[in-house]
Amino acid sequence: MNIRFGAAAGPFMIWVVAMVLILVAWQVLVWVSGLPPYVIPPPALAFQTLFDNWPRLSVLTGQTLYETAIGYVLGALIGFLLALAMGQIRVVQRLVMPALIISQAVPIVAIAAPLVIIFGFGITPKLIIVAWIVFFPVVVNVLDGLASVDRDMLNLARLMGGGGLRTFAIVKLPACIGPLFSGLKIGATYAVTGAVIGEWTASSKQGLGTYLLTANAQMNTAGVYAAMLLLTVIGVGSFLLVFGLEVLMTPWRSRSTAPAWAQWKPSQPTS
Amino acid sequence: MPETQEPRTAAEPPGSGTPAPTKLSIEKLNVSFGSVTALSDVSLDIADGEFVCILGASGCGKSTLFNVVSGLLKATSGKIVLDGQDVSSRPGQVGYMLQKDLMLPWRTVLGNITLAASLTRGATAQDRAEAAELASRYGLGDFLNHYPHALSGGMRQRVAMMRTIAAGRQVMLLDEPFGALDAQTRLGMQQWLLQLWRDLKRTILFVTHDVDEAIYLADRIVVMTPRPGRIAEILTVDLPRPRPLEVLTTDTFVGLKRQIMQHLYH
Ligand SMILES: Nc1ncnc2c1ncn2[C@@H]1O[C@H](COP(=O)(O)OP(=O)(O)OP(=O)(O)O)[C@@H](O)[C@H]1O
Ligand SMILES: [Mg+2]
Repeated sequence: MNIRFGAAAGPFMIWVVAMVLILVAWQVLVWVSGLPPYVIPPPALAFQTLFDNWPRLSVLTGQTLYETAIGYVLGALIGFLLALAMGQIRVVQRLVMPALIISQAVPIVAIAAPLVIIFGFGITPKLIIVAWIVFFPVVVNVLDGLASVDRDMLNLARLMGGGGLRTFAIVKLPACIGPLFSGLKIGATYAVTGAVIGEWTASSKQGLGTYLLTANAQMNTAGVYAAMLLLTVIGVGSFLLVFGLEVLMTPWRSRSTAPAWAQWKPSQPTS
Repeated sequence: MPETQEPRTAAEPPGSGTPAPTKLSIEKLNVSFGSVTALSDVSLDIADGEFVCILGASGCGKSTLFNVVSGLLKATSGKIVLDGQDVSSRPGQVGYMLQKDLMLPWRTVLGNITLAASLTRGATAQDRAEAAELASRYGLGDFLNHYPHALSGGMRQRVAMMRTIAAGRQVMLLDEPFGALDAQTRLGMQQWLLQLWRDLKRTILFVTHDVDEAIYLADRIVVMTPRPGRIAEILTVDLPRPRPLEVLTTDTFVGLKRQIMQHLYH
């Protein structure tokens, strides 16, 4: 709710203010604690490191971003389809739900190791971990959306002669879009964490996660912070992207009239 | 092939010289939910183009009656005959406006009005043009592209009504369509509905709790009593149409009201 309100009040300014506040707090912490830069580097040093190592860091960012994005889309797609199947067929829901909850109760770090043993050092285990994290909030929210459809609305659709497929597309599916995005927004901030955990377990290709490990081992604290900054940008960027998509795809939530392209105009030719 | 029946005639609507043929027959309906008898031996003939109000206390089975007539609910016994054909438990033969307005929030006013077309074969440009015409004629022309959340309660009810009309059924069941509105809006909506009914020449069954509303709108009033839900009396409203607001204070009106009140609160 606050996010929606913030978006309406001027999305750009609010984000600028938030980032400045965080940087100021970071700088103040450095001053007040009096800790040396190899324990807490000041923001300026972190940014300096970031820019100095940009050629390398940009490649690593690309790799992590790639894992995050593909895994995210995969998880979202699987979660959405699974929820639709579960919502349509009661038995499937009864059978699958406990399995889903168990899957989420197992610590993700514990899952990472066996995945690497099974799938090797390539990109597959990273994608699975990211998808694993993303699909659960999607399933739960989409199921809620399906369950929120009014029984009487379905009765009305039946009285109007609506077949199963059309009723699904017109009455049920749109009711899931809002909840779908609630799930996707939760997933968007977690997905990058999944990619990092995947890289920590084992990697043939370097990403920000692997860089984080090496920088840490070398006491390259400024490097750690630079990677942290980049990971944060990926997380926030994913969230904003999903949020923007949500606003576009659920115009009835934020607007009082249909967007121009969807408006009916009397001049339209009648056939 | 259903056997063709001798067309029977319902109670003669006032004002017309010749009796209109029977459009809808409700024959000896009984509905029970477990041990609760919701409807007991309910029979009613409705003439083509008639406006019938069903009046009764909460829980006397008005919505249950509509659910059976619409085909959503199977009666324990009895049948529904529409145009001489048995339509018991065959949903989709009559239009039904439920107690809630049931707008789809993601569809515009126009999209909600054309819902029946979208659900059956996909709404065409012509469907949309007709819906726009309907909405414009009855005061929603400026809101065609609005989402339901941006409308007032009265406007939403009007959209729900137009959606029912656009579905194209000759008989319309309206379950307390104005129940949630304030008295003033309500009166405006009643006049609006009467105008609509005169233009479209449909047959209307209208459930209400409001005695004044029933008398103002109806050709006939069916008074129901609860436990078990049954028809206590059927009154003919002998007021000329069109009905100006002044009829609300005439002797005929007040006399009918007294008669109905005796049944409802004896
Ligand atoms: N699905 C159901 N299962 C069990 N009992 C029901 C069901 N539907 C209705 N009833 C019962 O049948 C009776 C009639 O209910 P109904 O909803 O038809 O009343 P109503 O006249 O429409 O009331 P209101 O004016 O409050 O809408 C009530 O006693 C109710 O409890
Ligand atoms: Mg009711």
